[in-house]
This record gives sequence, C-alpha cells and structure tokens, in this order.
Amino acid sequence: MILSINYSCKISCIVFLAGLVFLSGCVQTGKTAAFRVSPGKELRVAVLPLDNLSGKTAPLKEIKQSLIDRITLQGVEVLSEKATERFMARYRMRYVGGIDADTAQAFKEEEKVDAVLITSLELYQEGGPPRIGLISRLVSTGSKPVILWMDSIGLTGYDSPGILGLGLIEDSVSLRDKALSLLASSLGEALAGKGKGPNVKGPSTYRPKVFYQAPFIEADKTYTMAALPFFNRSEKRNAGEIVLLHIINALVHQGNFAVLEPGIIRQKFLNIRLIMNEGISLSDADFVANSLNAELILSGKVTDYQDVLLEGGVPKVGFSVSVIEKMSKKIIWASESYNLGNEDVIFFDVGRLNTANTLTSEMARAVAGRMSRRGYQ
Amino acid sequence: MRNFIISGVIFLFLTACAGTGTDEKYRDANMDFGAIQNIAVLPLANLTRDQQAGERVRDVFVTALLATGGVYVIPTGEVAKGISLTGMTNPTAPSKEEILKFAALVKADAVITGVLREYGEVRSGSSTANVISLSTQMIETQTGRVVWSASVTKGGVTFKDRLLGGGGDPLNYVTEKAVDDLINKLFM
Repeated sequence: MILSINYSCKISCIVFLAGLVFLSGCVQTGKTAAFRVSPGKELRVAVLPLDNLSGKTAPLKEIKQSLIDRITLQGVEVLSEKATERFMARYRMRYVGGIDADTAQAFKEEEKVDAVLITSLELYQEGGPPRIGLISRLVSTGSKPVILWMDSIGLTGYDSPGILGLGLIEDSVSLRDKALSLLASSLGEALAGKGKGPNVKGPSTYRPKVFYQAPFIEADKTYTMAALPFFNRSEKRNAGEIVLLHIINALVHQGNFAVLEPGIIRQKFLNIRLIMNEGISLSDADFVANSLNAELILSGKVTDYQDVLLEGGVPKVGFSVSVIEKMSKKIIWASESYNLGNEDVIFFDVGRLNTANTLTSEMARAVAGRMSRRGYQ
Repeated sequence: MRNFIISGVIFLFLTACAGTGTDEKYRDANMDFGAIQNIAVLPLANLTRDQQAGERVRDVFVTALLATGGVYVIPTGEVAKGISLTGMTNPTAPSKEEILKFAALVKADAVITGVLREYGEVRSGSSTANVISLSTQMIETQTGRVVWSASVTKGGVTFKDRLLGGGGDPLNYVTEKAVDDLINKLFM
C-alpha cells in the first residue's frame, strides 16, 4: 500500500513537472528573438578598425584582434586584415564609425562579404581601476545595408568586488577579454537566433524625466527611422556619437523600428552639405526622410556625459530626444533624460552603475521602451 | 518660557532667510488662450555665466510644454530657420514687426521669449545649493501684444541646507520644477 502511494506520487510528480516544462515553454519572455541573422548560415564578415570615441589612446589593434579571435569561435568567417586594409585603401575609406551604401555594395561584390562588424570604443582606462566600454554592430552588405545585430558593454574592475575584494579585476587585459567575450557571445546568440528581445521592463529611475508622445506609433507596426547625429553640448568629446549609438542600439532591440545605418545618414549629410546649427528644420527633415525612405526622423542633444575616472566616481548623463514624423511634419516624441549612476542604489551600492556606458544604455532603453509602446513598464 | 520665545524668534528669523520661489504673473483677461495651437519658443536671453544654460532650459521648457498636450511647439530647428530667414537682429528680444514676420513664416499663433537670470550654484555662508531664476512672456502673433508673462525662482539655500548641508536639489530637478511652475501659471 505504501509502495503504491509512492508510485502514484512519482507519477503525479512526473506529470506535474512535464506540464510545468510545457507551460513554461509557452511563457513569453523578454529574451524572444526579435531580429535574427539567418540562423545556421556561416557568415563572412569584415571587421573594421575600431572607432576610438574614448578620447584617449588605447591598444586598438590588440582589441580588434582579440575581438576577431572571439567571433571566429562563434563560427564567423572573418575577412583577412590585409584584404580589409587593401579594400579600405582602394576606396579611400577613412571613416570607420559607419558604412555607406556604396561601400557596403562594394564589400559584397568585391570581397564577397555578408556583413561588416563596426565597433566603437567608448571608454578605455588601464589603471586604477581599469574600465572599458564598447558598442558593436553588424551591418549587412549590399545596396541596402541593414543593422543585423547591435550590442554594448561597459565594465569596470570593481563592478563585482565580492567578499574581501576577491572579485576585483585589476588587470586591464583581463577586463578587456571579459568585455570582448561578452560581446562575442551576444553576437553568437544572435547568430543562433536567440537575440535579445524587446525591452519590456526596466527600473523607473532611468525613465525620461519629461516626455511627450503623440498617439502615432503602434506596437505592432514597423517604422523606418533615420537617426540624425546628436548635438553635443557636454564637455566630453564625441558624446553625441556615443549617445546616438546607445539610442540606436535600444531602438533596434525593440523590434518595431528599422533604424537606418548611421553611416548612410552621414554620407547623405555630406552629399547635400547639410549643416544643422540648432536642430533640423522641417524642410531638411522632409528632404532627408524622402531621400532615405524614412518615416521617422530622430534627433537629439547631449547635455551631460561624465565618466568619473576614479574608484567610487558617479557617472552623470543627460540628453534630449525628439522624433519628427514625415507625413505630418510634426513632433511625435520629445523627451528629456538625466540621471546619475547611483540613483537606483538602495543600500550597499546595489544597483549602482559605474560607467556612463551602462547608465546611457539604461536611459536609452527606457526611452526606446516608451517610444515603441511595446508594453514597457 | 523666555528660552522658548528666543528659540521661536531665531526659528522665524532663519526661515525668513530660506530660499523661496517667487510668484509673479500677468495674464490678459481678454485673450482666448484656447485659440493658441502652435507656439514657437525663441532662444532665451542668458544672463548667467554658463553659456549652455539658456539652451538647456529652453529644451526642458519646450518638452514640458509639449507634454501638457494642450499646445504644439514648433521644432527648434524650424524656429532657427525662421529666425535666420526673417533676419532677426536679436532673437531673444525681437521687435513687433519681426515677430509678425517670423510667426507668418513658421505658422505660429504665439511666440514665447524669455530671460534666464540665474542658473547654477549659489553660496550662502558655508552652504551651497542650486538655483534657477527665469522669466518668460508670450506674445500673440496677430496683434503683437504680450498676453502672458510670468517669472519663477526655484531652489536656493534653504533652512534645511543650512542646518544639514547637502548642497540642495540637483540642478536638473530644480529646472524641471521651475518649468512646471511656469507652465502652471500659463494654464491656470
């Protein structure tokens, strides 16, 4: 009798667990693959030299080589450095922070490359304690380059000090390798069709402080967006480019924005000699939107971007974003965001963000989450 | 009893020194504010030492005005283009003719101009705090008349700051409060 009760209990447990596994498979999580890079297909990728936005000298060649080694492990075929350099020399390609449509087409035709990996170094410090910030994106080649994958990583040596400081990383090379491994594994996950899904949840601390949203964007529709260069009113050089990349990264992950490659927009601005002094005028916005086939024009301004390069220093970031809709020529989104890295701390530095990279990333995620109307809480 | 009275007097004296917000406003009683749909916010005259202050405050003001949902604010890029095309000599204090010409170009029902008098840290003894002082006026573009004018001061060294220190509220927060206050004065 006892045996039969145990037996029925076991059967019940197995059935219950099987049901639980089945049901949990149906649960919608934030990790759904919102964008994929043809799973299963081996990619041939050209890795561009790093775009140094940190404003400091950094071992760019070593970082690039280390990144190549790691993405090769993810099953990506990388175009040789010599071939990449020859191509860049042939096309007098000096700007490595983006790629325009002509160059992307040439990469496809001449080097038989499927995509180009563009990486920007946002922050680099070797000594006390080491810090690194990277933003990387994979852009398809061909006549219409598309952002296939994008991610950013910001680490410091004291992110997880642990008990008695055993978790501290004092060696900059170890920290660099850790950051590059995380970036490469994120790319690997995207290649396997397990990319990060839309951002549906985030701490309320990093939400825009003031924002306006017109009833235009619908969660189930996709909008082509041209993200224009941000104005930089902060003391940090290149802060406009850095914040723009974070915003694009966050928007790409939302899934309902097809954000145009920034290199295409840069080339368009150079071609038409468009100079903005205080924001884009409606006639220029109309021209840019029509020539790039974009429905939305995003622009912005960075007011603060500070990375305090001392242990315990608190980063500070402030920026504004506005979006103009092509047809109505009206602002459909405007927001003001500003935060400090320690605003989400309740006790013992839990929830503290140590770099402007991670802080900007959180703030951009909050902006994109709200803007996309995809159930952001 | 005597000590109690002295403490009370000291307390009143100290609170009288505390930073307060001013409340000044003018609202044209004959104006139909409901008819104003599109507003252009011109660059603020910046009387502070911070060169970016005017632009920062104007940005917050524009977004907060849009966020009310009551009016539409013309993008700053379009305003800059309008200023350039009308050849305004001083966009922070335009003449009536300039406003009428500018408004016709950018299709604005009203124009807001303003002066940023103070923005940043103030010190009082050993205490410091952030302060903002701003005044704005709305000009109706059909007639060129001032229909609304208000000023606000927020932040400053308070009794709490003197007693406990801490440097007061962050400047962004003080700016947000001041702008909210100004907008309340426009709608109420």
